[in-house]
Amino acid sequence: MIDTLQILFNGVVSGLLVALPALALALTFSVLRFANFAIGAMLTAGAYAIYAFNAGLGWPLLPSALAGIVLGGGVAMLVDRLVYRPLRERSPVTLLVASMGVAFVLENLVRFVAGNAPVGYAVDPARPLRFAGLRVNHEQLLIVGIGIASLALVWIVFRFTALGRAMRAVADNAPLAAARGIVANRVIGATWFIAGALATTAGMLIGLDSTLDPQMGWNYVIQVFAAAILGGISHPMAAVAGALVLGVSAELSTLVIAPHYRPLVAFAVLTVLLLIRPWGIFGTARLAK
Amino acid sequence: MSAPLILQGVTAGYHGKAIVHDVSLEVPAGGALTVIGPNGSGKSTLLKSVVGLVSLMAGSMRLGEREIDRLDAPARTRLGLAYVPQERNVFPNLSVADNLRLGWETLHGRGGALSRAQGRARESARRDEVLALFPEIADRLATPAGLLSGGQRQMAAMASALMQGPSLLVLDEPSAGLSPRNASLLFDRIADIRATGITLLMIEQNVQLGLRVADHGVVLVNGEVRLRASADHLLHHADLPALFFGHAPALSS
Repeated sequence: MIDTLQILFNGVVSGLLVALPALALALTFSVLRFANFAIGAMLTAGAYAIYAFNAGLGWPLLPSALAGIVLGGGVAMLVDRLVYRPLRERSPVTLLVASMGVAFVLENLVRFVAGNAPVGYAVDPARPLRFAGLRVNHEQLLIVGIGIASLALVWIVFRFTALGRAMRAVADNAPLAAARGIVANRVIGATWFIAGALATTAGMLIGLDSTLDPQMGWNYVIQVFAAAILGGISHPMAAVAGALVLGVSAELSTLVIAPHYRPLVAFAVLTVLLLIRPWGIFGTARLAK
Repeated sequence: MSAPLILQGVTAGYHGKAIVHDVSLEVPAGGALTVIGPNGSGKSTLLKSVVGLVSLMAGSMRLGEREIDRLDAPARTRLGLAYVPQERNVFPNLSVADNLRLGWETLHGRGGALSRAQGRARESARRDEVLALFPEIADRLATPAGLLSGGQRQMAAMASALMQGPSLLVLDEPSAGLSPRNASLLFDRIADIRATGITLLMIEQNVQLGLRVADHGVVLVNGEVRLRASADHLLHHADLPALFFGHAPALSS
């Protein structure tokens, strides 16, 4: 019983790690209609931005995290301005390929500045806590707390603010949004900022959970895409549900298969979904004209 | 609050190919003009060029005192233009209330001199006025706009355009897809909107309905103006089939 609980808890934790970038992916997809392949590299770059403030400048983790999140969001906006905006009217495939280029540049920039070797944040190691037999380490608590808080914040912005309404309006019907006075580029810039901030936060949480290396984001890309598609990629909050389902099922799979096959679960889920329900669990079929 | 719209020598189209050629027309402040014409005559393209969704290849446009032909669509809405497209005219995943609110807040939200509470009060006053024109959607505010019936959706679209507080309302085929009864009902409402003094430019397939609420009509064929006349003249005297289908035009006006 306690073993199952532990597995479920670990599954929720790893699901939350994927949920943030999956939400970022689904947000940019719903507003811009292209799959941002650079989501992994954004996560890496964000994690290293925080590392630069934390280990480079010697700031404590909290101010480093805040500065890194603002920087990560700013870099995402800058990339939009330099790369995606000039390609706005092109096909989704063109933009997807451009995002691969962005991923390549970001990842190698990190490698160029910080080197190839794994590094870690300057935080004190701490002994795991125990709650009624459940083993919970401090990083997991941070992941759950920060993960849920970030998701709630984005949900509130998306649901209840003028910016959120404008984002949903552009996602729903961009020409009509323009005719209602919404300046698309402003909304798109804000969307990228949120996506960059989410990816940076996820990068930090992953870095706290293990280590930072230039490949770290890339290792998450398949899971992030699987989670977002599982939820229905154009429904941002559903991507979160997708990530949690994926996290828990990957952990549960360790009951029947060897743990190092766990990444297979994301591939299997993605394959089955694309075969039987490509629009996701919560999504609706969209026909291309 | 209304403003005149003046188009001079407007040529517009897509990808460098002109669909409407050298169209000039004028809608006086508080007036109503309906553009009629057969399918494919360029009516929608003309309207989209007025709204700013299709760029101009030649000619000029004025709304009130301002040249608008170089402005993008959001900038034109700030000068008082509101547009109701024929299809996809609501945000389907947003509630009717959010659709209405979007009409208001982009232009009037975060109003400089107004406090938050004053802004809210003015928004809800405006919403009450608009819902008085369209009582059918007043009890559907929480419904996603995509789930409304055709007639209600058209009303929600018009209501959210009116939330902008426009001086010029541009309507693309308001009767499209509606039952004759709903279409007639909708045009009664358009007449009510006109009575508030808003300038109206619309295109309409249903010639009878479209001209009933207008002072003037323009017949557009193959992207060119065939005839300009009073709505009354077009309704009762013009040989529209001949005009539409290219027989010798009756040029009396």
